[in-house]
Amino acid sequence: MARKRGRGMAAGWYGIARTATVDRAGAWAEIDDGGTVKIMTGVTEIGEGILTVLAQIAAEEIGVTPQDVTIGDNDTARVPEAAHAGATRMTYMIGNAVALASRDARERLVAVLAAHWEVAADNIVTANGIARVEGANQHMSMAEAVHLCKSRGVVPVGSASFGTDTTGLDPVDGSGRPWQAYVFGCQVAEVEVDTVTGEVQVLGVWAAHDVGRAVNPKGVEGQIEGAVVQALGQALMEDYKLDGGHTTTPGFAKYILPTALDVPQVNSVIIEDPDPIGPLGVKGIGEPAMVPTIPAVMNAIYDAVGVRITSLPATPEKILEALRAKTNAKASVAAE
Amino acid sequence: MPDLRIDAIINGRKVSRTAKPWQRLIDFLREDLHLTGTKEGCGAGECGTCSVFVDGVLVKSCLMPVAKAQGARIDTVESLGRNELSVLQKAFHKAGASQCGYCIPGMVMAATSALRANPFADREEIKERLGGNVCRCTGYQKIVDAVELARDVVNGRISATALEEEETADGRFIGANVRRLDAPSKVSGALKYAGDMVMANMLHVQVLRSPHAHARIVSLDISEAAAMDGVEAVITSEDVPGVDGFGVFVHDQPVMARGKVRYVGEAVAAVAAEDVVTARRALAKIKVVYEPLPAVFSVEEALRPGAPVLHDYAPDNVTKHIPVRVGDVARGFAESDLIVEQVYETQAVEHAYLEPEAGLAHVDADGVVTIQSPSQNITHHRHMLARILALPINKVRMIMSPVGGGFGGKEDMIYQGMLAILAIKTRRPVRLVFTREESIASTAKRHPSKTTLKMGLTLDGRIRAVEFNMVCDGGAYGLSTEGVMRKAAILGAGPYNIPNLKMDTYGIYTNNTPSGAFRSFGALQAQFATESHLDICAERLGIDPFEIRRINAMRPGSKTHTKQPLKSASLLAALKAVAQASGWEKGPPTSRGEARRDLGGPGNRPSCTLGSRIDGAPGQARDEVA
Repeated sequence: MARKRGRGMAAGWYGIARTATVDRAGAWAEIDDGGTVKIMTGVTEIGEGILTVLAQIAAEEIGVTPQDVTIGDNDTARVPEAAHAGATRMTYMIGNAVALASRDARERLVAVLAAHWEVAADNIVTANGIARVEGANQHMSMAEAVHLCKSRGVVPVGSASFGTDTTGLDPVDGSGRPWQAYVFGCQVAEVEVDTVTGEVQVLGVWAAHDVGRAVNPKGVEGQIEGAVVQALGQALMEDYKLDGGHTTTPGFAKYILPTALDVPQVNSVIIEDPDPIGPLGVKGIGEPAMVPTIPAVMNAIYDAVGVRITSLPATPEKILEALRAKTNAKASVAAE
Repeated sequence: MPDLRIDAIINGRKVSRTAKPWQRLIDFLREDLHLTGTKEGCGAGECGTCSVFVDGVLVKSCLMPVAKAQGARIDTVESLGRNELSVLQKAFHKAGASQCGYCIPGMVMAATSALRANPFADREEIKERLGGNVCRCTGYQKIVDAVELARDVVNGRISATALEEEETADGRFIGANVRRLDAPSKVSGALKYAGDMVMANMLHVQVLRSPHAHARIVSLDISEAAAMDGVEAVITSEDVPGVDGFGVFVHDQPVMARGKVRYVGEAVAAVAAEDVVTARRALAKIKVVYEPLPAVFSVEEALRPGAPVLHDYAPDNVTKHIPVRVGDVARGFAESDLIVEQVYETQAVEHAYLEPEAGLAHVDADGVVTIQSPSQNITHHRHMLARILALPINKVRMIMSPVGGGFGGKEDMIYQGMLAILAIKTRRPVRLVFTREESIASTAKRHPSKTTLKMGLTLDGRIRAVEFNMVCDGGAYGLSTEGVMRKAAILGAGPYNIPNLKMDTYGIYTNNTPSGAFRSFGALQAQFATESHLDICAERLGIDPFEIRRINAMRPGSKTHTKQPLKSASLLAALKAVAQASGWEKGPPTSRGEARRDLGGPGNRPSCTLGSRIDGAPGQARDEVA
């Protein structure tokens, strides 16, 4: 049979946020007229879904809905520094900073409500746009609560900074605390290798990743699916080539990317091992999900046809060459 | 050539305008009609971001001369869901099908076309019909989910309520599948990326790039270009007012080449002109005399004694070496029953975000130099730019525009400096939009790597020693190389207890395209080696691949390779979860594919389905539902 199937697995780990340096993020929050919320922090979507994640965090912490939350544009002259968009740090660094800033703003609002209702602040619940006293009848909308605050001369604002307890590495033996949160993951890949054409199809990937706490599970899946496919591109087809410093892959006709027809079914399993340090227990997923895919696919190719690809990408040409070498080796052993 | 007269019906309205004969339909839509929902991703018909309907047929508008639009009916993404989102757009919102969003308008158009052609298309047919549209973020899974959802609403199999937000338990939003708040702006094409933005009185920037991998700039004469009608400014490294250098760890890269060029595609000069065509013509008038220098195109060449040197500060061409040491590897190998050594190599990879680099700069009324670009690190860019411009830091303002895919590739400040200097010089807003070719040739790649890995284990599968040596081609400038080497060194040996470890990672300068930040940042290359290697060792020892990892797994309290105790560690949970989910059949990795009984389960897609559209007659599917 020309097409042979096999399975492989691989694991991986990753550090969350900036490496071997102190990381930090700041955020401002305001509970605004109409019971809406403004969050100001150095963040813009790069596609990972962070705006929605931050809106979910602020909404739950303050007691409104995500649709009530507006996140200000990332602008060095207008919002507090939350450093860069990368290093799998957005949910961890900025999510935790926004949670703390939201709690700070809520405290201001709740203090006014507690005085108004003559109850302890701890007895006040804010959720879904309603402020109420636990176990009693007093309640009002968050819009009314903000109005009440302002009539008492209080604008319910808050701010926070979230930083890491991390160090650089020793220049001689590398010891140090590069991160305070680590994530782990594992994937299985199932492949079909065509021994006539050398083509490898990845049919299924099972991916289990620890994210600490999933703020938006569908968003986590989206990160895993995208990471697996990006890794699959590097595993099987993508190859930026140079000849004397000039690229010979100058456009997408030569630089081949995975399309909808190339991708496996990705089966995600989200593991929640909460971060013991940050206030939310969240970690991250953007980069770690990419780590196990390539070795899992290479191990699966070996399982299917007995050739070990150690030089990426595993193009059809490379697979065929390896299969030929294997056949020749067997033949020469037989001849001896 | 005389201007063309274009009379067309565009999004249901009659449009009568003149157009330039060299314009493509995409230029006419975006630049003349400001219909920027149609995105340019490659300019070559390869990516599908510019998909529109011409007389009802899905067309890539970057491949169609505007002259062909005469008399045509053209519908762009802006024609869909004018009052409320279309079913398909709502399905994209519900399914979480958009991430960066740059491919999404084109994807929505292709999906609309697919369901118009066959409202009963199955999953494989949908994938085939979307085959001409590239997405770099999502892995396509949720896009196809969305099209299937829309299909079932459109053909009446399920109710439209399936498109609505899921109910959430009383105010508990952390952990809920809240629909992405930015999705409506992306599925409708309303979101403006930097290349979609215009400012009044704006100039257009083009960049002259080096044709040499390594050369001395003998002379650079801009006079003829600067004197051209419509050219407002031409800048070179002489126009940099402050300290000319940027980079993440070492500021080794000038805003434009200074004295010499170090890679093909490096910026040498930049022009701001009234339109892009004039700016391009001006580039051709800049006279540069180069004296080619010997170049190095591999780490082996770069490390050879007497090799050409790229940067004076690094006479050995080593950008960075990171060591990690635990125990005594010689003793570890002596204690081992099995020692396996193998070399692993990975290639350079392009980020291929669908949004090519773009940016706008202007000087505001208070003299603040303001730059809008899809930069992943405006904080650091502001620091560097203030130094480059010799301005107080609060006179430099960076705004992060929506990023149409980054993956680390937009962390480096490779063009914002030129924009700032041109805005200061012309006192007018300036905009630069890269072509795909420019983006590929001039921006950073994933570090190519070569790893020699030697591992010693006992017969029961315990790792006793690892010697890991990884050498990476960092290309012509430092960018994130130091950080990538550090992450590779810390994580490369994997999440395993290794009592004796000698780990070295090296980033090397060459005259290749620079390498930089790329999602998974050195950890990917290094762990590819370790995870392949563990399977080789497991086969030799007759141990199941999950088991060999379990035996060595870091657990809570384990020390990492940098001697940090782990407060928590979830590797064992991840191993267990994926073995269960995949129904993994235990056994050593001995190429037992043919004998396995765990293959072909429900977590797989069907194998090669190309042609399903042709094989499966649409009529049959319709009958089945009716």
